[in-house]
Amino acid sequence: MSEAQLFEELANAVYAGDDAKAVELSKKILEAGIEPLKAINEGLMKGMSRVGDDFSQLKIYLPEVMLAAEAMKSALAVLEPEALKRGKATVKSKVVIATITGDIHDIGKNIVAMLMRANGFEVYDLGRDVPIDELIKKAEEVKADFICASTLLSTSMPYMEDLISLLKERGIREKYLVMVGGGPVTREWAASIGADGYGDDGDEAVKVAKELLQRRGAP
Amino acid sequence: MTSIWEVIDRAETGTYMEETDFDLKIVAKKCKELVKEYDIRYDPKQIITSDDSLADDVFEAGLRLALESGIYCIDTKRVVKFEEYELKEGIISAPRRLIIGQNKDSRILYARGIEDERSPIICGGQAGAAIPEEWYLPMAISYMKEPLVDMINNGGLAVVEGRKVRTKTPLEIQATRRELSMLREAARRAGRPGISFIAAESSVSAMGDLAIASERYMRRTDSHLVALLNELKTDFDRISKVVNFYEYGAHNVTLVDPIIGGYAGGPEGVAVCFVASFLLGRAMYGSDFHVCHPIHFRYMSTSAPECMWNLNIVGQAMARNAPFIIMGDVWTSAGAGSEMVFYETAANTITNVVTGSHPLGVSATNGKYPHATGLETRFMAEVAHAAVRSKLNRKSANAIVVELAKRYADKQGKPDIGKPFPELYDVGRVIPKPEWNATYLKMKKEISEMTGLEF
Repeated sequence: MSEAQLFEELANAVYAGDDAKAVELSKKILEAGIEPLKAINEGLMKGMSRVGDDFSQLKIYLPEVMLAAEAMKSALAVLEPEALKRGKATVKSKVVIATITGDIHDIGKNIVAMLMRANGFEVYDLGRDVPIDELIKKAEEVKADFICASTLLSTSMPYMEDLISLLKERGIREKYLVMVGGGPVTREWAASIGADGYGDDGDEAVKVAKELLQRRGAP
Repeated sequence: MTSIWEVIDRAETGTYMEETDFDLKIVAKKCKELVKEYDIRYDPKQIITSDDSLADDVFEAGLRLALESGIYCIDTKRVVKFEEYELKEGIISAPRRLIIGQNKDSRILYARGIEDERSPIICGGQAGAAIPEEWYLPMAISYMKEPLVDMINNGGLAVVEGRKVRTKTPLEIQATRRELSMLREAARRAGRPGISFIAAESSVSAMGDLAIASERYMRRTDSHLVALLNELKTDFDRISKVVNFYEYGAHNVTLVDPIIGGYAGGPEGVAVCFVASFLLGRAMYGSDFHVCHPIHFRYMSTSAPECMWNLNIVGQAMARNAPFIIMGDVWTSAGAGSEMVFYETAANTITNVVTGSHPLGVSATNGKYPHATGLETRFMAEVAHAAVRSKLNRKSANAIVVELAKRYADKQGKPDIGKPFPELYDVGRVIPKPEWNATYLKMKKEISEMTGLEF
């Protein structure tokens, strides 16, 4: 199988959420002496990009996106250590994301997390009803680029303001790009509390995150 | 019927499972399998279907999903399961008719059938929205003074006396009580003191809900919504709400809002999930009636074609096999003040009344902005009554709804969100401002000519 064919097969395995196949192909790629970073970019990322596109058009649904993300994770576990050894590891932007205090609705947040993963971000999903100090603690621990908070409840929106206030209070506001979203959250409100970004939906969240990174001059 | 105490026991003793396994290995997997097995297909040209066997297949698949999946309790990570006879007891014992409200304002809320020729019950309000306290009263009056509005489901309060309400804090109690106090006052001022509410929307956790179980706030002829969490899940906050109203004696109502594109899959899987949710909601919460709210993963709006197809097929599946009282949400992408809101409202409302549900809305902008008034709800009521008066059958209704959807389907991503309530209404007199009234009259004429409905 040629390099291009292997990459195509790898992309297909990710798209199909086929863990075992993705791992098997990743091993084959290494055995063939192919550059792992190239396999990540032209195989895994290509597959996930197709997943993201098809999900946007409702050709596939959240479970397929989750399975694809799992397959990518398994393949990365094979390819990434080798890329690191060669000093060519991908530098990924890190995202800490959660449904904020008081809210247990997490599907919207899960969709954003999946789409961010699909677009190459390293995502730490803390789950739901997460206190703001836990979000900050995790962001500090992993040296995150983004803190993303979601809610479906207007009565949990004030906790997003609290998040930004606490970052300021601790003198670390500038370290992070803060993005907010969810059912009742509006663009105008996000701007009013001093968030860096907002997305109407998962696609926009990813787009905005990339733009924010570009503006910041990050990887 | 399984008692709520037995349900709580099962939530503590059922099969232990990680939540992701329940999402993917149970709900997602089974929905996919059942859709395939029953060959359930969504056709965008048939938003309102006339195929009874499709409705029956959706019901049967939903019943199987309910039996095989059960409900996941997030707090205990355990699955609450029901036997077939328990679900069937829930069907047999479900109210077909309820008296809601009091005295001259009371109404009979009933289980609608397919192409039902009876007048639907109109539930008005911007449900699900956070409404500013300073407009809450006139906005509520704007719905209650509409003679065709039979009951109210308005939004909640996110700010009370200048303080932002945070979930699970003492202010949640204050916000919920204030919401009910203002609804009562609005009802008196509108001359509808006995009008029935679906309320306590400010109570996100059980705290606010517990604080309004009193005739001063929530009467026993009123109702509150208890959601099933996405998908087929609950928690002790939801169950606490059920217990509270169970003993208080007001109505528990299941709010079911599966996401198209989420764990249940596409429109077809969501339809199966809906039926399972209604059956489990009845068995678990003892709900007297149910709210059908399909969510589009991107637009949210129930007026999206895939969502209306769901309202249609789920309404028919239930009407034919388990005639529960169902209210179908009317949530639009566009806001009051726009023209688009009328197209969305008309399509969504016709779908509901022809296929077995009563319309509940208009929650303009999906409740995101307080850009809503009584006027678009008047329009919803007029359309609903006109559709029934015209004896609209499913085939004719489909032709109308498909045409209406063409007017807005490509704009749902970037809708005209309209204007806030005070810019559209004279807040003192609680009447529409001339410009908004002119838009309403123009759109009413246009949609009447387009659909052939006389209203």
